[in-house]
Amino acid sequence: MGKLKLAVGVAGALVACVASLSALAAENIRIGLIEPLSGPIAAVGSEALDNFNHAADRVNKRGGVLGGRKLEIIGLDNAMKAEKTTEQLKKAVDMGLSYVIQGVGSNHALNIIKFLDKHNKRHPGKEIVFLNHSAVTTAFTNELCSFWHFRFDANVDMKVAALVTQISRDPSVEKLYLLNQNYAYGKSFQAAANKLLKQRASNVELVGDELIVPFGKVLDFTPYIAKIKASGADTVLTGNWGPDLHRFVKGAVDSGLGATFYTVYGGIPSSISGYGDAGKKVNLKQVTEMHENQNGLPEDLRDYMKSYIEAYESTWYPDRYRWLIGMLAAAIDAAGTADPIPVAGKLEGMTFPGPLGEVQMRADDHQTQMPLVVSTLTSDVPKHLIYKGKDFGIGFKTDGVVTRADTTLPTSCQMDRPS
Amino acid sequence: MEVFAFSLFNGVLYGMLLFMLASGLTLIFSMMGVLNFAHASFFMLGAYLAYQISAYVGFWPGLVVAPLIVGVVGAAVERWGLRPVHKFGHVAELLFTFGLAFVIEEVVQLIWGKVPMPYDIPASMNFAAFSWQGLDYSAYRLFMLVISVAIFAALFLFIAKTRIGLIIQAALTQPNIVSALGHDVPRIFMWTFGFGCALAGLAGVIGGNVLGTEPAMAITLGPIVFVVIVIGGLGSLWGALIAALFIGIVDNLAISYDLSAYPLFAAFGVERDVAGFMQDLVRLTTASIAPVLPYFLLVLILIVRPRGLFGTRDV
Repeated sequence: MGKLKLAVGVAGALVACVASLSALAAENIRIGLIEPLSGPIAAVGSEALDNFNHAADRVNKRGGVLGGRKLEIIGLDNAMKAEKTTEQLKKAVDMGLSYVIQGVGSNHALNIIKFLDKHNKRHPGKEIVFLNHSAVTTAFTNELCSFWHFRFDANVDMKVAALVTQISRDPSVEKLYLLNQNYAYGKSFQAAANKLLKQRASNVELVGDELIVPFGKVLDFTPYIAKIKASGADTVLTGNWGPDLHRFVKGAVDSGLGATFYTVYGGIPSSISGYGDAGKKVNLKQVTEMHENQNGLPEDLRDYMKSYIEAYESTWYPDRYRWLIGMLAAAIDAAGTADPIPVAGKLEGMTFPGPLGEVQMRADDHQTQMPLVVSTLTSDVPKHLIYKGKDFGIGFKTDGVVTRADTTLPTSCQMDRPS
Repeated sequence: MEVFAFSLFNGVLYGMLLFMLASGLTLIFSMMGVLNFAHASFFMLGAYLAYQISAYVGFWPGLVVAPLIVGVVGAAVERWGLRPVHKFGHVAELLFTFGLAFVIEEVVQLIWGKVPMPYDIPASMNFAAFSWQGLDYSAYRLFMLVISVAIFAALFLFIAKTRIGLIIQAALTQPNIVSALGHDVPRIFMWTFGFGCALAGLAGVIGGNVLGTEPAMAITLGPIVFVVIVIGGLGSLWGALIAALFIGIVDNLAISYDLSAYPLFAAFGVERDVAGFMQDLVRLTTASIAPVLPYFLLVLILIVRPRGLFGTRDV
């Protein structure tokens, strides 16, 4: 029985080999997307899959890359567990993939960076390049930087720089309270905010700096809100996300705190859904690479947003996914091959027309440099946020654009390039 | 002094919310001896049902209907799930409810999806009833307090003063005699379990709009309700109440007074801005660890008094 199974397996493999040889000319370029597609935060992963499928479709409809080859996104479920991320990476190796995309959870991204540093050294000719869409830990493009890692999102420090720059322009901000989650991301947000506030908004008084136990452990925010009230703060600057943000905002609205919230993740669809009614009452700002009520968005992007909402009944939100796929396609065409090392070489220093102006993949550290926009959540806008057919009745209105020069920060990366 | 009174007040509000979350769990344990790991999942189910019902007919029908549905689901689970497992002892029951927790959670996510639900507090109670220290307290928060107190009073009277309460209590230790007296013991257990689940559902209806109705709600709430009933003493209603209030008050005091651990280290000549080894410990403040203090307390209680504050039997 065992022998029979083996024979069938070998025969199957042979057939597959022949089939793949004959299809080589028009073979799809397969890209692995390692994200939580099951478990409590699967919403985030499956949305990313929709987003990237759409971005790849757009490239494919225009004729694909290398004169007709198509991009294909393959979802690989890590269920938000570190060991599963490694498992799926090994699967990506077995499938012979050259590119993996990931972004939800910096600890997973770090796993991938470390895995690939070893794997790519030991298996020349089978290298994999990691395209990071949202893991924002600044160290990945500083002391932990790697040739195999490219980040298309702004890192924590850049996002804080944009928020602080906008805070310095906002005359209503006099007293500011920092509240963050006590883990790697929250602490790097806190450190960047402390540093950049001194440099860019020295007129603002910091009246509180708090770390909370993260990931939904705080059930009742009343005592924190009471402290914020007692400190006289008019503004809260927070990197919180998930229940740690939803409960905070709901509690603040319920207690009539009245402070303005400057956030990173306050505007993502799951947050808006999480606030419920409070979303219409809170004065909340977010920092993003774009939002759809921004004036002067390029024609191509507007067309792109239209086709996305037609296909998925959701507002196009993370524009960095568009330029991630767009830059990858352009790099493959420029390199004349889908082999990862020449393509990575072409990605270095590449520019792309972003929503607010040109974005560039900095060669020194593989961190995309980009302008960012700070916007307010309000119902007083032409286009409301729509998610899976549901209109939230609120959208974003620009407070100010922070130029690429103002979000560009120095790097300490000493990149080790393959010879 | 006013800060102290203010923290005490906020602590009582939070503590009563915790008590409400834990009440069904302690009821099922004291009446049936079953530690229901799926308690937080029934809470989650109640919140999602309440959201769905309130979207069509408003909050008030949801307040009645959602706990009823959760109660019937709970009774069915006891009848066709827990009862066959019962003869294999408490460990089997515990493992059963442990698995059940994940099943309910997945089913809820299959029905309602993975995105948080915009379940809001009813507009009729969404106004500031009074303010203190610059903070508004909505009528809904007072309503939550009233319901929690009512749950405590009703349970207390039900268990201690009614005939049914006595029969249920007797059924736990002397099932054969109770059954010889003509009572249907399995059916008593079924409805007791259903009632405990309905209480979890009620907590979901009332707490779901404040705490957030989202896929991770059962996972994040599960541990704290166990802490409440273990500290209070497994199966003790009074214990659960006192423990919940204690946790609520400690949490609020720890955050508002925000004591630092640094003076302890300063005595040994340690600098405040020491880097590397032990740096987080030196900079530790009570506010930054307030939500995990109950877990320290749990460990401490289990060492010093394994049966909890008011428990009558060991864990």
